[in-house]
Amino acid sequence: MSAARRLERAGLLLGLCGVVWFLLTFLIFPLIAGLSVAFPGADSKGLFILAEELSAARRVREAVANTAWMTLATVFTVTVVGVLQVMFLDYFAIRGRSLLKIGFAVPLVFGSVVAAAGYRFVFGQTGSVTAVLTWLFPDLGSDWFEGFWAVLYAHTFLMTGLHYLFLRAALRRVDYSTVEAARSLGAKEHTILLRVVLPAVMPTLIAVTLLLTDTAMASFAVPEILGGRDFHMLSQMILKLNSLRRQDLAVILAMMFGVIVMSLIIASQIVEQRGRFTGGAKVPVPIQLKTIRNPVWNGIAHGIAYLFLAANVLPVLTVVLFSFAPAASIGVEIIPSSLSLQNYLKVFTDADVLQPLLNSVQMSGLAVFFGLAITLFSVPVMLKYDNWAARTLDLSFFLPWFLPGVLLAVGMILAFDTPNALVGGAILLGNWWIVPAAYTVIIMPLMVRFLRAAFVGIDPHYGEAAQSLGASALYRFRRISLPLILPTVVLLAGLKFNDLMTEYPVSAFLFNVNNRPLSLAIVDGARSADPEQRAVNLVYVTLIMVASMVIIVLAERLSMGRGPERNRL
Amino acid sequence: MKKTVLTSLAGLLALGGVVEADPLVVYSPQGGERAEWIAEQAAAAGHDIEILNAGGGELFDRLLAEKNNPQADVVFGLVDMAMSTLKSEGLFQSYTPTWADGLPDEYVDPDGIVHKFWQTPIVIAINTDKLSAGEAPKSWLDLTDPAYKGKYVVGSTSWQTTRTFLAGILARFMDENGKVSDEGWKFMETFYANAILANDGDSKTQAYASGDALIDLNWFGGAYRQAENVGYTVELIDTEGGTPFIAEGIAIMDGTDQLDQAKTFVDWFGSPEFMGAYATRFNQAPAHPEAIALAPTEVQEKAKLVTAQPVDWDLVAGRIDGWIQRIELEIK
Repeated sequence: MSAARRLERAGLLLGLCGVVWFLLTFLIFPLIAGLSVAFPGADSKGLFILAEELSAARRVREAVANTAWMTLATVFTVTVVGVLQVMFLDYFAIRGRSLLKIGFAVPLVFGSVVAAAGYRFVFGQTGSVTAVLTWLFPDLGSDWFEGFWAVLYAHTFLMTGLHYLFLRAALRRVDYSTVEAARSLGAKEHTILLRVVLPAVMPTLIAVTLLLTDTAMASFAVPEILGGRDFHMLSQMILKLNSLRRQDLAVILAMMFGVIVMSLIIASQIVEQRGRFTGGAKVPVPIQLKTIRNPVWNGIAHGIAYLFLAANVLPVLTVVLFSFAPAASIGVEIIPSSLSLQNYLKVFTDADVLQPLLNSVQMSGLAVFFGLAITLFSVPVMLKYDNWAARTLDLSFFLPWFLPGVLLAVGMILAFDTPNALVGGAILLGNWWIVPAAYTVIIMPLMVRFLRAAFVGIDPHYGEAAQSLGASALYRFRRISLPLILPTVVLLAGLKFNDLMTEYPVSAFLFNVNNRPLSLAIVDGARSADPEQRAVNLVYVTLIMVASMVIIVLAERLSMGRGPERNRL
Repeated sequence: MKKTVLTSLAGLLALGGVVEADPLVVYSPQGGERAEWIAEQAAAAGHDIEILNAGGGELFDRLLAEKNNPQADVVFGLVDMAMSTLKSEGLFQSYTPTWADGLPDEYVDPDGIVHKFWQTPIVIAINTDKLSAGEAPKSWLDLTDPAYKGKYVVGSTSWQTTRTFLAGILARFMDENGKVSDEGWKFMETFYANAILANDGDSKTQAYASGDALIDLNWFGGAYRQAENVGYTVELIDTEGGTPFIAEGIAIMDGTDQLDQAKTFVDWFGSPEFMGAYATRFNQAPAHPEAIALAPTEVQEKAKLVTAQPVDWDLVAGRIDGWIQRIELEIK
């Protein structure tokens, strides 16, 4: 064994120890502490009684049924819209493509509470669409946008992000020479689509669909705000039970959830492994956008594309518009009657208003950095050593999805409220660092999931070639793997940063007087006596969305013109 | 409160090595301009405090979770039921502030731990532009009348206001052991079936803005504020059987290492002078009669508008979670 190899091995071991220490300290230990709160002195008989109590509750049963139906319906509609949007961008020649590209990227930055509120600005009782519709059809109640269909509609245009991210990439890697070959053999266009293109992107489509199922099942803000009185979903029930101090019931529901999510993850990993060495050209000929020759079909395609564009951007534009409006007009006026920079001035000149934004930028940034550092190291290692230890490590990253976030936060408090040997005998409770540590834990599942897909997609021949030329592991990682997965890394950074900037449940338990995060300010503003605070909130979310959009556009630029990558999610 | 190594290090660096006493950490659900104003006033009066504010529900859970190593020195602003539970969990220590003298009995803790400084009725307010006083409900129990179907909004059960009026209603059907009768639950079912439900502030406002909802079940100041935001004339109903009042309390944490500072702060905070100033600034009625006397006449007038419903909060505190659970899982 050469000195360099020995050094490499030592580095690997040290890194692994670090990762295991981090997971034990900030995930496993708090998790156990959290569970012990939920089930004080639990036994299996107790669990049975709790399960009975749950299944006896009418609204829990309704939530389960609603969630099942909504997930099925959402997967269907999102797949239709998501696939069409991707085809409008990267398969058919549609005029105004750069506009569509930005419009269809909206779901990546516009999510959760903000998005649901945006939908209500447009479709709610004082919304612009409602105003037009009730003028056309006076019999339509002003509360028409509520319940199952409203939630489904919002889901449909808020959850196409995965298609935008991964299906586009897959489509771009389809070797155009195969399409041309089929065409020259006389194949019809729809035959080419179904028999040539579809099989090539199928593994990606399946993986995207599985992840979409998770997202749809876990939906919280949209049903909470648009569900109305008769439609509620599981995540709402879990949080509600938690706030009723029935953490035991909440955990049982959350675990049921977790089991389904975990099986979906394992299923998608199997799909991923199977597709590992198939398809994809070594040097693909980039796909040529196809002009639809039949004018009627061409017109229809353009019509649908622009309709989707409108559906995507209308709610977000309304949110941005109201961020320039006087507070009193929010939720009262259909469109603001006057606009000014007043709200923005307030955010940037009032230190008390600006500080939470800065705190969150700092803590979310750190968490994204640590999260990427840990997962970028662990994922290739786990893929290389495909044994039980690697698999255990892999699955333990997903544990945060088994518990409601609140319980993880409570677990963190209990784990660190006394000197803890795992962190050198320090008391982390009340410490600035406990928030970024918790943030890191909660963003890791998705990072592992996506990075795994990205690493699996790297053609192993590159690594083998480099290795045969004597490149060290670190060198290979730095010069081959990292550049290939860089777009995914940047995207993940952007998405998770965006999420953390508005993370509430965990933040509310762990922050202290020195690091009050933005989400606390937002929630505080939403119920403040001072109406100006609500306007300030819209400024906050607009700023976050703009920042995330910049990151995503950057990632898109990075991923352009990268031939050799076979990023298959 | 003890600071941790890192933050103290940062503090030391910032202060260039000058060691200063730690500020008193105060947990309160009062945020925004109120928190800012209180902090300013406290600083002016020579109290070095840091207010940590979060939602009432989160703060409450957080205080319980931090039980082994409390991060707060003083808690204020949580309402009766929450303070009562925290007290029974042994989180507070007893201290009778200087202003306890002259405080009406209902605001004084017989155990000398939690003292109430501010109170507000949860009221039935009506939009008189569209509903005349004659048509308005006379009591909370009238709301199930078919005439009021779809005319009032019940907010999220995590809101303090909603929890309080639900408790106020169910307390009327409660026996001496705290058990609610079947009749009470029947009432609750109709009460929910007749209501417009809202999970968040925006959808509540919209229900009134669209003119569907005309009866507002709100805390006193909130009822006026909503009427102003939406733009209607509001009138409060002095209901038969009274209306539940909630009072916010203040208490010193058992684990504080700055007891003297905490005591001085509590004495100052609840004093009629500061409470009077608070009432003037935010148009709210204090609990202390001397503070009421210092409040603007408008506040004094409004304080007489409605009659209080007697509620045994200690009895309710232990049951409210179970009641809300039944509402959330079965009734809603």
